[in-house]
This record gives sequence, C-alpha cells and structure tokens, in this order.
Amino acid sequence: MLRNYLKISFRNLWKNKGYSFLNIFGLAIGITCASLILLWVEDEVSFDQIFPKKDLVYYVPTNQNYEGEWRTFYSTPGPLAKVLKDEIPEIVGSAITHSTNLLFTNGDKGINRRGRYTDADFLKMFSLEFVEGSAENAFSRPEAIVLTQKTAAELFGENTKVLNKPIRVDNKENYIITGVVKDLPQNVTFRFEWLVPFERFAEQEGMEWLAGFGNNFADTFVELAPGVDFNAVDAKVREMLPSKTEDADTYAFLHAMEDWHLRSSFKNGKKAGGRIGYVHLFAIIALVILLIACINFMNLATARSEKRANEVGVRKVLGSGKKSLISQFIAEALITATFATILSILLLVVLIPQFNILIEKQLELRLLDATHSITLLGITLICGLLAGWYPAFYLSSFKPVEVLKGVRAKIGGAAIIRKGLVVAQFTVSIVFIISTIIVYQQLQHIKSRDLGYDKENLIKMPVNGSMIENFLPIKQDMIASGMIENVALTNSNILSDGNNGSGLEWQGGTDTEDVLISFRFITPNFFETTGMKTIEGRGFSQDARKDTTNVLISESFAKLMGDGSPLGKNVLRYGETFTVIGVVNDFVYGDLYGTSDPVMYFNNPDNAFNMYVKTKAGFAFDKTLIAMEGVMKKHNPAFPFEYEFVDEAFNAKFKGERLIGNLFQIFALLAIIISCLGLFGLSAYTAEQRRKEIGVRKVLGSSVSNIVQLLSKDFMRLVLIAIAIAGPLAWWAMQNWLESFAYRIEINPWVFAAAGFVAICIALVTVSFQAIKAAIANPVKSLRTE
Amino acid sequence: MITIQNLKKSFRTEEVETLALNSVNLKVEDGEFVAIMGPSGCGKSTLLNIIGMLDNPTEGNYNFAGNEVSGLKESQRTQLRKGNLGFVFQSFNLIDELTVFENVELPLIYLKMNKSERKQKVRAVLERMKIAHREKHFPQQLSGGQQQRVAISRAVVTNPKLILADEPTGNLDSKNGIEVMNLLTELNQEGTTIVMVTHSDRDSHYAHRVINLFDGQIVTESQNRAIGAMV
Repeated sequence: MLRNYLKISFRNLWKNKGYSFLNIFGLAIGITCASLILLWVEDEVSFDQIFPKKDLVYYVPTNQNYEGEWRTFYSTPGPLAKVLKDEIPEIVGSAITHSTNLLFTNGDKGINRRGRYTDADFLKMFSLEFVEGSAENAFSRPEAIVLTQKTAAELFGENTKVLNKPIRVDNKENYIITGVVKDLPQNVTFRFEWLVPFERFAEQEGMEWLAGFGNNFADTFVELAPGVDFNAVDAKVREMLPSKTEDADTYAFLHAMEDWHLRSSFKNGKKAGGRIGYVHLFAIIALVILLIACINFMNLATARSEKRANEVGVRKVLGSGKKSLISQFIAEALITATFATILSILLLVVLIPQFNILIEKQLELRLLDATHSITLLGITLICGLLAGWYPAFYLSSFKPVEVLKGVRAKIGGAAIIRKGLVVAQFTVSIVFIISTIIVYQQLQHIKSRDLGYDKENLIKMPVNGSMIENFLPIKQDMIASGMIENVALTNSNILSDGNNGSGLEWQGGTDTEDVLISFRFITPNFFETTGMKTIEGRGFSQDARKDTTNVLISESFAKLMGDGSPLGKNVLRYGETFTVIGVVNDFVYGDLYGTSDPVMYFNNPDNAFNMYVKTKAGFAFDKTLIAMEGVMKKHNPAFPFEYEFVDEAFNAKFKGERLIGNLFQIFALLAIIISCLGLFGLSAYTAEQRRKEIGVRKVLGSSVSNIVQLLSKDFMRLVLIAIAIAGPLAWWAMQNWLESFAYRIEINPWVFAAAGFVAICIALVTVSFQAIKAAIANPVKSLRTE
Repeated sequence: MITIQNLKKSFRTEEVETLALNSVNLKVEDGEFVAIMGPSGCGKSTLLNIIGMLDNPTEGNYNFAGNEVSGLKESQRTQLRKGNLGFVFQSFNLIDELTVFENVELPLIYLKMNKSERKQKVRAVLERMKIAHREKHFPQQLSGGQQQRVAISRAVVTNPKLILADEPTGNLDSKNGIEVMNLLTELNQEGTTIVMVTHSDRDSHYAHRVINLFDGQIVTESQNRAIGAMV
C-alpha cells in the first residue's frame, strides 16, 4: 500500500511540475528560514552551557539607589568577593576580576589582548581545561600568567610548549607563563585571552583604593556549595554590603549563570528580560513563516481538489476506506515536505555563511549531530502533517457518487477556508513590511540623534606607554601634519558610562547626595576636539596647574544648581571643593536611547585611558592614519598603533537593533515570496476553473482589461482585508517594541499606507500574470474544450 | 442475490426535495444479466449506485447476498463492497497516474492480497482481456476501447459476485462497444451477475431482462428471448 502511495505521489509531483515546484520551493523557503532561526536560537540558549558548574556559579551585580530608582551595575567593591566567601559558609569559592587590555610582546611580535586579573578560584569555577600546567599551580606565583591556546599560538607559534616561558607585558615587565588553557567557544559570556593573579593589579593600582567598599570597579563571581538553598544564600549576599557600609542604598545580589546571556536587563533593580525577548520573538516568527509556507500547500492542494476528485471516487469504489485515503494524502504531503527539506539543506549550505556575516555569529549545520538531524526530521514531519491534514480530510470526504458523475465537489467551504488562509498569509507579510519600516526608522532616528558632539572624523586611541607624558609633542606633531585638527585626552570612552559617583554637595541644590554624577578627567581641548560647546563661562586653561580646583559642568548639572548662573558656585566632592567656571552642552553617552547623567569635568588627564583625535575633512583616511602612526611610532615606539573610528563604534552599539532590522527585512521578503508563490498558484487555478466563463464573456464582448479586473478583484479584496487586520496588529506590536526606548519615533500613519500599497502592488502583479494569460486566450479554444 | 423492497431515495436541497426513486421493488438472481433503461433523470444511476453500495437509500430495504445494506455506515459498506462488487463506468475512471497493471492491481491491494498472488491474478486477467501487452502503459496512451477493457479487467480481477456497469459503451465507437458487450456476456456466462445501466437498445439485448424506469419507478419489465442477438 505504501509503495502505491509513494508511486502515485512521485508521479503526481512529476506530472504537475509547476505546482510541485511552487509547493516544494515555498515549503523549502519556510523550512530554511525556520532552520536559520532555530540555529540562531540554539546558539543563544547554549551560552555558558559548557561549564560543568553552570548551576553553582553566580555573577554578583549591585543595585544602587539614585533619586528613588534602583539601577543595576556590573561592578562591585574590591573586598566583596573575599567577604562573601569568608562570611557565608554556603559560598565555597569566590573571585574578584578586573577586565582590561594588555600588550604582549615576544621578539618582534606584539599583540594586544583582553583578559582578566582574577583569583585562583576563578580557574576552578569555570573548570578551565589546562593543556599545559594545572589549575592548582597556575596562580602559585605573583608574576604568573595563564594564556589561552590561541594567544599562546599567536605569540609563540602553533604547538610550541610555552610553560614557564617569560612573556613581556606592556613593554615594562615580564610575566611567567604558568598555564595554557583551551580556547573558550564563542558562546561564553565572560571572555578572556589571559588570566593574571589579581594581586598584580592590586600592586599596580594601590591597595588602598581597591580595599574600600566605596569604589565599585570589579566583577565578582561566587560558587555555591551543591544543594544549598539559593534564596537563603541570595538573602545573605543582599545583606552583605549594607552591613559593611551602613548604606542601604547599595546591595549586591546573585545572578545565575543561565541568565547571564539571555536575561541580563534590569529595570528598577528587578530582572527585566534581555535577549530572551528576541529569542522568543524569533522562535514565534520561525513558526509563523513555517505556517504560511504550509498554508500554500493546503491552498494549492485544495484548489487542485477537482483534479484529484475522480481518483478519490475511483479508489473509494474499489474498496479504499477514508482512513486509507487520508494516509495516502498525508503521505503525499510528507513526500513533498521531504523534498522541501532536501532542497532546504542545500539552501542552508549556501546561505549559512551569508547569514553568519549578517548576525555576526559562527553557526553551522551539522547533519551528523543528532539534535540537528532530529530537528530537521521533526520540521519535515510537522510540515507534512500540518500541510497535509486539511487537504487529506477534505479530499477523502468526497462522495464517489458525486465526483464520478462529474458533479463539482462542494468547494464552497474549502473556498472560504482558502480565502481565509490567503488573508492570513498576507496579514503576516504586511505586519512584517510595517515592522521592517518602523525598525528601520527607529534605527535611523537614533543614529541621527544630536549627540551633543560631532562623531564624524573622530578617532579614539587607547592610552598606553608614554602617551600621557608625551601628549604635548604628540599633539603638536599631529597638528603639524596638516591633517589633524585637534587632539585630547580623557579618562572615559565618549560613548560609555565610565567613572561616576554620588554623595556630592553643591550650592543651589537639594538632596544632592542622591544624584549620580559622571566624572570626566580631560585635557582642556577635549571640547574643541569633540565639537562640544562651552555655553557659559570659560573652558580650562591650557596650563593644568591653573585650574586644579575649578570644574566645568554639563547643562543638566547646571539645572540642578537652581536658578541663576552656576558660575562661581561650589561643588563638594569627597572632601574637596571645586568651583564651577563653565557650563558645557549635554552629550549622550551610556544608554544611547536614554537621558545621560549630569557630568563634571576636571582639568586632569593623569589617569586618561583614551586619546581622541579630530581629523580634518577632505583628506583620505588612509593617509591621515599613516601620518598618525608616524607620530605615535616616534613618541610611543614600544606600543602598536591602535585606533577606532568613533562613528563606527557608535554604529556598532546598535548591533541588536541592526540584527532585528536585518532579520525583519529578510522575513518580510520571505513571507512575501512564499505568499506570492501561493497566490500565483491559486490565481492559476481560478483562471483555469473560469475558462469557460472567460470564453463566454469574451464572445459577448468583454475586453481583456474587464477580464483581468474580474479575476483580480476577488484577490484584491482578500489583500484589503489582510491590510485591515495587519494594521492594528503591527501598530500594537511595534508600539510595544518602541516603548522599550526612551528616545523613540512616533509611528506615522503613512507607514501603514505604504505597506498596504506595496502589498497590493505585489499581489496585483502576481495575480494579473495569470489573469492576463487567461484573458488573452482564444475563447474558441476554451469553449470547444468544454 | 439482490432483493430490493419499497426503496425510496430523495435528494434535498435548501428549497426543493426531489424524489429520485419511488417505491422500487426488484429482485436479481445469481447469474442474471439485467439491463436498466429509461430516459435521463429517471433514477437509473441512482438505483445502480444504491445497488453498488455507493449510496444509501432514504427508505426501504436492500438485501445483498443475505446482508441488509440499507442503513450501513460508509465504512461497513466499503467492507461489504470489497471483493464482492466490480464497477465499469462510461468514462472508464482509470487513475491517470497509474499504469494499466497498477490500475488493475489496485482492488487487490485494498483486499490486502500478497504481492505474488496479485501479480499472478492481474497478469491472468490482462491476458484474458487481451491487453497484457499494454500493462506498462498509462491510460492516456490507450484507445477508448482499450481503456474500457482495462476497466473491465479491474472490475473482474477480484472475481466479484456482481458487476455493475454504468453505460459501459457510452464513450465507445460501435466496434469497441460490441467488444465490451461481448466481454460482459462472457463473464455473465461464467456465472457473474451483471446489472447494467444503458441508453442503448442494442446493448440491452445482451441482457436476460430489461427493466424500464420512469420518474423513479419501474414501469415495465421484459425478458429477452435471444441473448446475444446482436453479436
């Protein structure tokens, strides 16, 4: 029996090649799309799953209260890790870590890599696999350094034993390699290329600063003993900081490893999702795309039912029961789905590399991996069953007496369902079109936001070696090149939060201790370099010694000082009094969608981490960079020339939104293609069914355009219904999405009109192809064949 | 073999009820060849469909080989039909996607017969119907007469007790029509009961008995003296 089903299915597919193509290709697009999304979802949910102690290790963020609102920070005071382990018995391991870049040199090879200063417990918590050395001995000496295999190979070559070899760090001291660990896979949240005992960092930075509970700067990790009550331990962790500082406005808490990647957003101190929202969204989108591909199959199968009706009748007369026919049609759908899956595998092989570029991941399809092959098999089964059940039940219910007599199968009910399915397909497509436009608009909106500084032609360089001591000659030589406008130093990245604090007092303000203020330590020409404006008072003197107790403040800070000019007013910061000499315009940093905290500027570049260079417009960047490199080689020869364009770094901040935008574009396109394939097939059948009617109408004097109109009208009505449903649906979904951004667009009604117009045009082109074909056919032929 | 008593069949649409068969009484003995005649719309095919268990009567009794058929569910009718009844249609109703061999094999598959037995039976019937040389062809590659021979092969391959033929020569030229009627006569002579609906006087002469229907009722019944007179 099965052989008979297979045989007839194959022959049917072969005989109706055009429709088989529409069906298989439509389903293949759906399966490909769903597979790509599932690969992405698999990668997202696999983050940090490789660590054997994933259920025991926790990150420790802090919640801090400013002006009545809890804000969550990924930084803790230095001593927290130690006291947590010492005072809470359920915590069996703890590590303080600080992430930074170091320059490693071996002979003439120099590479800059990011890593962590940390404690020995870190090695055990993450069960790091040592290919050289061991976790027990790796941190037994203060000058120890553990490298990843990749970093070791980059410095010393592949397969070279490096244990106990010295390595030059930042061109000023030697560390000894005490271990090499296996590289971490891409799906790990907290990454590193090297690990160094934290004492080393403490020595460099000074213990006093690190030992207090007042400065939050470190990442803290803890390991719980197996089987302990999480809530009880978390409660103890929450009490720890207030008990040490007598300040209830800052407390630490436990953040589970399984949440690090997917649930890392916090709102008013509480978990507020994160990437998990996108994971859910895209999983639903995968299902929806698969569903609209299955709808095609259902529609084409039921539309073709008249062709199959006779076969159903004959089979029933010859002894086939309903069950047997249902099995036959479902088997046919499964065979189509299998072909679609095979085609989809080929498409995936071609598309995954492009998809990886788009989403900036390293996904791969592993057919030999049980998860992947079973998932594909599952998708095939689901598609086959989903797409096949309705045609199977519909076709198998035909009465042999009627169909064999040529009485038209009762298609009224099926036609309504078919129309409903077309409406559903177009609704999804239009929602995607509207969403794509709105996501794009929001992205453009934020990108064109007035940031308060000019990010164009602005280059950031990390400060290392002797860049601070040699700042003036570097600046002079760069400007002398004729291609550079200005150079400045600052402690912070202009795009990021950075150094901040509360507890300040100032004249004209109330409850000032509660306000979080950002601190920027700069050279006087920082404002000219970045294009910020001094709107009141003056800037810093070029002579740093002259303005040591003077500060500039941002506009939002000035507002906190009450009415009247803030110039000359005093600010008390941790025991030191500063006088306001100028007000600078606000600029956007940190959360680029939100409102940034007030800023206080100091004329002190001693702890600068970044050098900003404003290049002159009109010069090719490669020439400007060569000039800059020449200056840096002269004044900071021991370090490689490293730089980053601020506008590129700014754009990189929207990776998540860009991903959403790109994916929406793809899904909109795919949904439209699939829907059009279905519409194309359906319109072909409608034209075929109405051949006689078209012939009669033409004989009676109807024009080609009348006929095209007649055939297109019904489909257009369906698209209009879809527009009416999709509009409110898309508005609701997008309004929800936009509400997560403080700085956002208002949804404009023309978006809906444009999406509707696009949908109508696409549907019209698809349908009219068949309509015109039917309309220009010779009526004599169609009437004769009747 | 067939006893029909007081059989009624009505079709109801939203507004009209049409009585297709009205108090039909009919007996068909084993081995008989009965022709049903009458003008279009008189209920011939409705009666044939009920005899063939493709449809249920609205009222009355229908007994087939000792089994009461009226009121059976579709699945029960299918079971009773399998292997007992063979159908021959005016438009052949072969499945285009199956070869001659596969079309004839289909009823045996539904009887769950094993493959070697099926092969043997199909070959035998195709030989007998002189169409074996076309067994790998698809229906569209055959002439009308050949297609009807395949359809008859398919009807007889299960050795049914009863063959129901609905205007079996309606789509054929006279030469092929005569060939088909001769085949049916041959089958009848071997013991198969045949009930045939026809418009053709010539074909009706092949039957033992001719029943005339008009407006859903049997109006006349006549015995044929010279069976196969037109051969």
